Amino acid sequence: MKRTIKRFLSTTSAIILGVIIILLLTFAGNKSNGPLEDLFIKISNQVINVENKIVMLKRRPVRKKALSWFDKYRENKSLFSHPDTIFTGIYDNHYKKSFDNIITLEKSLNLTVQFIHIYTAWGSNTEQRFPYRYAKAIYNLGSTPFITWEPWLNDFDRDEHPELPDKAKCNKNGLKAIANGTYDFYLEKWAEDVKRFGEIIFIRFAHEMNDPYRYPWGPQNNNPKDFIAAWRHVVDYFKKAKVDNVVWVWSPHPAYKNYNDFYPGNDYVDWIGVGCLNYGNVASWSRWWTFKDIFGNYYEMLSSFDKPIAITEFSSLSVGGNRSKWYEDALTDIPQKYLAVKAIMFFNDSQDNTTTYKSLNWSIIGDTLTVNAIKRSFDKW
Amino acid sequence: MRKKDKNLWIYREAKQVTKKDKFIYSVLFVAGILSIIRFGEWWFRAEHVRSLFLYILLSMTIWYGIIRIVLIWVNYLKIKKPETKTPVKGLSVAIFTTSSPGEPLSMFEKTLAACAKIKYPHTTYLLDDTQDIRFKEVAEKNGAVWFELVGLPGAKAGKVNKALEMTKEDFILILDPDHIPFPDFLDKTLGYFEDEKIGFVQVSQAYYNQYRSFTAKGAAEQTYTFYGPTMMGLYGHESNVAIGANCVFRRKALESIGGHGIGLAEDLITAIRLHAAGWKSVFSPIIVSRGLVPEDFGSFCKQQLKWSRGLFEVLFAELPRLFKKLNFWQRISYLSISSYYIVGVTTFFYILLPFLFFWADILPTNMPFNEFIIYGAPIIIIAIIIYLFVQRWLCHPEKERGIHWRGMILKFASWPVFFLGALLGVVNAEIPYIPTAKKAVSGLSPYVRPLIFQVIIFILTLTYVFYNRIFLLPEWQLDLTSEQVWGMVGFSSLSIIMILGGIYAAFESRNLKPEEPWEKIKINEIGRKL
Repeated sequence: MKRTIKRFLSTTSAIILGVIIILLLTFAGNKSNGPLEDLFIKISNQVINVENKIVMLKRRPVRKKALSWFDKYRENKSLFSHPDTIFTGIYDNHYKKSFDNIITLEKSLNLTVQFIHIYTAWGSNTEQRFPYRYAKAIYNLGSTPFITWEPWLNDFDRDEHPELPDKAKCNKNGLKAIANGTYDFYLEKWAEDVKRFGEIIFIRFAHEMNDPYRYPWGPQNNNPKDFIAAWRHVVDYFKKAKVDNVVWVWSPHPAYKNYNDFYPGNDYVDWIGVGCLNYGNVASWSRWWTFKDIFGNYYEMLSSFDKPIAITEFSSLSVGGNRSKWYEDALTDIPQKYLAVKAIMFFNDSQDNTTTYKSLNWSIIGDTLTVNAIKRSFDKW
Repeated sequence: MRKKDKNLWIYREAKQVTKKDKFIYSVLFVAGILSIIRFGEWWFRAEHVRSLFLYILLSMTIWYGIIRIVLIWVNYLKIKKPETKTPVKGLSVAIFTTSSPGEPLSMFEKTLAACAKIKYPHTTYLLDDTQDIRFKEVAEKNGAVWFELVGLPGAKAGKVNKALEMTKEDFILILDPDHIPFPDFLDKTLGYFEDEKIGFVQVSQAYYNQYRSFTAKGAAEQTYTFYGPTMMGLYGHESNVAIGANCVFRRKALESIGGHGIGLAEDLITAIRLHAAGWKSVFSPIIVSRGLVPEDFGSFCKQQLKWSRGLFEVLFAELPRLFKKLNFWQRISYLSISSYYIVGVTTFFYILLPFLFFWADILPTNMPFNEFIIYGAPIIIIAIIIYLFVQRWLCHPEKERGIHWRGMILKFASWPVFFLGALLGVVNAEIPYIPTAKKAVSGLSPYVRPLIFQVIIFILTLTYVFYNRIFLLPEWQLDLTSEQVWGMVGFSSLSIIMILGGIYAAFESRNLKPEEPWEKIKINEIGRKL
């Protein structure tokens, strides 16, 4: 008996030691990238495409059918320059795992949205490459990918690119570096992938570039002229690489009113994007703002560029006011007062940690009052 | 291939180890280690953890395998071949071979006749407990001394120890009865005992009945590398093992440890004890006898169960006792040999993994499949190159070279047996001593049942996956789950292919005609030089 116990104990302690070693190694490791990556990404995308084709042969693609009216737009970029309708879209923070939430929201709103909005950052990791898989999945469902593309410069692997400025310093004049071609290696891959994807996508690059308190590409680190140069460099780079399936969305923060300093020019911008988030009274700096407060007051200036406007984040929290009324007012005003608005994207983020210390829930899934208010407003369009 | 190259009954020896070989090997070794470091640097990342428990389990499984690869690579670093030495005349030598009830008499006629033909003067002893008078007659006909040793504990080793008391020879060759020795067996081995420190001399084990079945071919393939480069490396690290058959012992050495070890892995126990007592040993990569390998799947599994249980016994009981007396490399080598069959547990987990995903949607890690392949492939490639490279030291390369796919299939398909051996070892349960069958046992082995069960589960699962994806899965879930699902299907198909190989071996065994392969051997033609 004693020997059996001893034996059992020695087996157990060997296992525990193994666990400790693995834990130590795991939480001390760092990141880097592999060379055969391209090939395997291509293979895996091929698997997805082939399966989709085979399976959909036998099925009626319900969602795609519902969006068949949208096909003429997404197959012809010029129809996006002065659209004759207002498009809708959704961002959902679970999109990487599944689109279930998006579909749930659509069903509750009795709506099939034309854009699915996703965010992606610059950097060396696999998920920081062009999100081909998601773009393809969105396209296969009948929609168009709307991609907010954030130039975070400190996420590039310095071992792979020793020529890049130090992580601590790279944000200072980072846009100038982009304009000078320092990050062309990254643009090259992206442009190549976008071209290979082939379908029309919306790219909203370096949004809220005029807000000095938010992103590293803001005016606290950069001269507005450098923003313009960087933007033009990126757009020109895509053009030079013969990538012509991109609709470029220039997206300033409306409250600063200094957009003109950052405007790259009519030839470089296709759409204008504006975030419209009502934080209610969750923070000391916020109060219950109406849609007019956030957007309407700046509409005149924004529409002066004579470009279609997308409300890229359209959402209100529920603390501090009447949420359903907020939506109803906004959606009633848009087709009547703000005629340049051509797209509205619901911001269905149930765990937004980016602005306040606590996680904010922007999702309207399950908020029957709001959902019904939105439906009522859409019925009047 | 010339006919001569294929002849099994000619003396063979492994190639010399040259400086150039060693250098090329060192380069491969370094590349291999670097590829493992690169893989390890990628593997252990917090962002890879999805289910911590399963991640740890998977890590242990993978790294158990990798550590074994590293150990075998380190082993090859010291690959060494002893210089041949002609023995002095006048040594007194005994050959012990044992017979047990149920073993075919005709086999002993061949073995004993071959023993009589061994050139160096010796006495052959048949240690017999069959209580069948015909065995005595066969022994005497071939000039062997017949000992009737009935009812001794400890199976073969018990008889050997008793016979040691009854005899006086300074050197004892222990020969399994299915092994037919070549005439110069003793001339090739006794010379090493000139060094007083040498306690035993082991030579390669080779077989002659591979042709009989898939199982026999696979079982033989599993041994080729072991009795060539692997043992040569162990010899270089001074941590040889005795295999039971084809091993010559110095009587003084055996007596110094109280006789031959007893247990399911009696040979390994003996080797460890001899080294712990300060004796040295020689492994000579030469073929001076050929024997039998299990022909049917059931016998193969029984043999593996016996070995696995025996090796766990060494791991738990023998090694801890003698650990302090062994040197560093002996510790490493014996630890790694005696823990070999843990592979049953790790294989079980590999097989379970995809099913956990299909049934319960549980994944251990967030690793993208492609990254796993990108980082894992260099290790696999270098492992294959090294495996092929060291084949230059096989004893009979013309016959033994190859990727040994049958051996791999058989090893993989034996996982239930290894698993059982591991369980029995941990709870310290006994299994009876089973002598390995000398002739094919017909009928479907019960060991194949877990394999068939596994295939049925796989087919059901796959049917469900197809049905689900074609008819049920909402279209918006299709694209995002595709890579994972088909990656997992691919992963589990690999193991199913191996398992199907095992099932094939079992079904082939069912129709195997019991035959006596030794009948074809012409004793007079054995052992000529090339």
